[in-house]
Amino acid sequence: MMQPVYISSASVISPQQHFEDVGFLADVHDIAEGMLYVREPNYRGYINPVAIRRMSKLLKMGISCGMSALQRAGIEKPDAIITGTGRGSMVDTEQFLLNMIEMDEEALTPTSFIQSTYNSINGWLALQTKCTGYNQTYVNRGTSFELALFDAQMLLNEAEQEMHVLAGCFDEITPDYIKVKSKIGYWKQPIPANTDLLKHSNTPGTIAGEGSAFFTLTNKKENALCSLQAIATMQDAEPAEVMAAINPLLNKHGLALDDIDLLLCGMNGDSRQMEVYNQLSQSANGHTTIAAFKHLCGEYDTSSGFATWIATEIFKAGEIPDTLVIKKGSHKGIQNILLVNHYILNSHSIVLLQSVQ
Amino acid sequence: MAERIVITATGIISALGRGTEQHTGALINKTAGMRHPLHLRTKHAGEFVCGEVDYSNDQLAALLGLPTGDNGYTRTTLLALVAMQELMSNTDTGLFTDNNFALVNANTVGGMCSVEDMYLDFISEKTEGPFLKYIDTLDCAESTLNIARYFQLKPFTATISTACSSSANSLILGARMIQNGVVQRAICGGCDALSRFTLNGFNSLKNVDKESCRPFDANRFGLNLGEGAAYLLLEKESDAIARGADILAVFSGYSNTNDAYHPTAPSPEGDGALRTMQLALQKAGLNESDIDYINAHGTATLNNDVAEGKAIQRLFSSKETAFSSTKPYTGHTLAAAGAIEALFSIWAIQQQKAWPNLNFHTPIEEMSISPVTEVKELDINHVLSNSFGFGGSNVSLIFSRA
Repeated sequence: MMQPVYISSASVISPQQHFEDVGFLADVHDIAEGMLYVREPNYRGYINPVAIRRMSKLLKMGISCGMSALQRAGIEKPDAIITGTGRGSMVDTEQFLLNMIEMDEEALTPTSFIQSTYNSINGWLALQTKCTGYNQTYVNRGTSFELALFDAQMLLNEAEQEMHVLAGCFDEITPDYIKVKSKIGYWKQPIPANTDLLKHSNTPGTIAGEGSAFFTLTNKKENALCSLQAIATMQDAEPAEVMAAINPLLNKHGLALDDIDLLLCGMNGDSRQMEVYNQLSQSANGHTTIAAFKHLCGEYDTSSGFATWIATEIFKAGEIPDTLVIKKGSHKGIQNILLVNHYILNSHSIVLLQSVQ
Repeated sequence: MAERIVITATGIISALGRGTEQHTGALINKTAGMRHPLHLRTKHAGEFVCGEVDYSNDQLAALLGLPTGDNGYTRTTLLALVAMQELMSNTDTGLFTDNNFALVNANTVGGMCSVEDMYLDFISEKTEGPFLKYIDTLDCAESTLNIARYFQLKPFTATISTACSSSANSLILGARMIQNGVVQRAICGGCDALSRFTLNGFNSLKNVDKESCRPFDANRFGLNLGEGAAYLLLEKESDAIARGADILAVFSGYSNTNDAYHPTAPSPEGDGALRTMQLALQKAGLNESDIDYINAHGTATLNNDVAEGKAIQRLFSSKETAFSSTKPYTGHTLAAAGAIEALFSIWAIQQQKAWPNLNFHTPIEEMSISPVTEVKELDINHVLSNSFGFGGSNVSLIFSRA
């Protein structure tokens, strides 16, 4: 069994707040268009000033968020860089594709082609930090970020010395992406304000979002925000299979569902995907607080990065912001957080985080 | 490494054909798979040669017992399924009835080969039409999930995209998961289909050769694109022996590093490539003199070959180790390349032959060593295979005689 590893810093860019904002979900933004674009920080200061001029939004998001996580941990050069993204730079992909179609395959420039490569942000992070170590990019839809975390845990388990891994995720939405996916019923109609999303969980569809989250992980417990105990991912699992996986995962760590103080759930307002969360809520007793997060960030492949950032902030603050809470539990402190997420394309993930106090 | 990881089954499709026999036959007969593309609908078809798989989409679908026409399967996925079909037919599928195994796939542009022909429909006001079947196929995980679904598997799934080193990274992840006790076995590999997107993308970088590519030649101009898929079954040596499996080769070492030099170009003296190869040797517990053949990345781009060539020259200076690039046979198959060339490396060990570097005539000025140009009979115990990609992503793998 893999040993726990430690999260030593966390950084986020989200529709609610970014790494330069102070506070923790202090101002919740109401967005009515069903497209939760991120609040963009000032990227300068985190990115090579010459290179930044040609960079598309996702590159700026990913690189600045990664650099910010390193800064917070006081690390100049990580030992490894591991990321997850469902779709990479949609802006660059669409741009090169449309140019190619419109220009009839003539006179194309390479910038958007290069930036559409899924590991381009990894390359930039390595370049900026002079990190010549392990470098990996996962592109497995709704479990891309979880795979990055999993690989980080495995790499730290393999390490014989102190090691620091930068792990994170990034995904973006575009107007064309929204339009394309509307044709197969991804989005809720009519569109509710994001803060009302979960009140509409009796109808199909969700709202779209985007974001980036980066973390430094280490095998050293001192000054950690929390520990990462276990990760499980599942594809095409029935709700019953997801439920059946949770208890064994907790048992392996000497825990039961009743020991979970916060159950952070990835419900996205889509009635077709509520079953797991309904069963989970019924299984949890009064001890556990049940909370949700996708009404704040929208649905996207790597939204669990945003949720993991929320968890680290909750461990820091020792309390759960009201905007997340669906059902308040009787637990005293916050020792164990279980993140259960799903993505539209039928994947599920379970992440167990623990306080180091 | 702790316990040795071995390879016990494989599957492959490329411009050289389908399956082990067609591939080794082509390698031995020096028959390249390059041609002007017939299936790729590009206006540049008459201009560039590519390593295109012979089968049309309908022919691939027929091999798989799938409906022809707009069946919702992209060429990327069809190639992956056909390669996997060979692996599965050579394996006791009872091994995959529980979920104690991983499927690690690699891919660079997902279903772009289909999406690029339908994208105007995607973004039009149309809400009906065959394009709807392909609307969720652009991302890289699409082929991975279709493999699991087609073969009714419930594995731990992962998809990797690190440009041209993608499927070499699949093998590393699979081996590490087995070593860490996360799974007992792993099916690892990658797939990519030719697309106008990648052809025009690389052409916009002005590094695509119109004629057959000439790796390590002073007059090289650039790469040829190819397509294909390859998968390998990895497990512990003791597990393979216990079930009486044929052990094809040992996966004895690997290394993943980053150049941290430039977004698309390698460090010109080959520092990154050199370090990657050294770390793979270290992981395998081997010296450079133990390597009998190097299957180079050798894309025939100006930058890659001089950097990789210098790195090979620096590391293997004491012994003239046989090396070659097999890209002139298959074209550069991007995410599939690492896995395809892993197979070429394994066959080099099995057949005791170093594969020729086709189209080589004139050495690069800065290099004093030249690649093997004929099928060379050699005593081969250890093969090193390189895959280097955009974003400075470098991988070296080492395969050894079972």
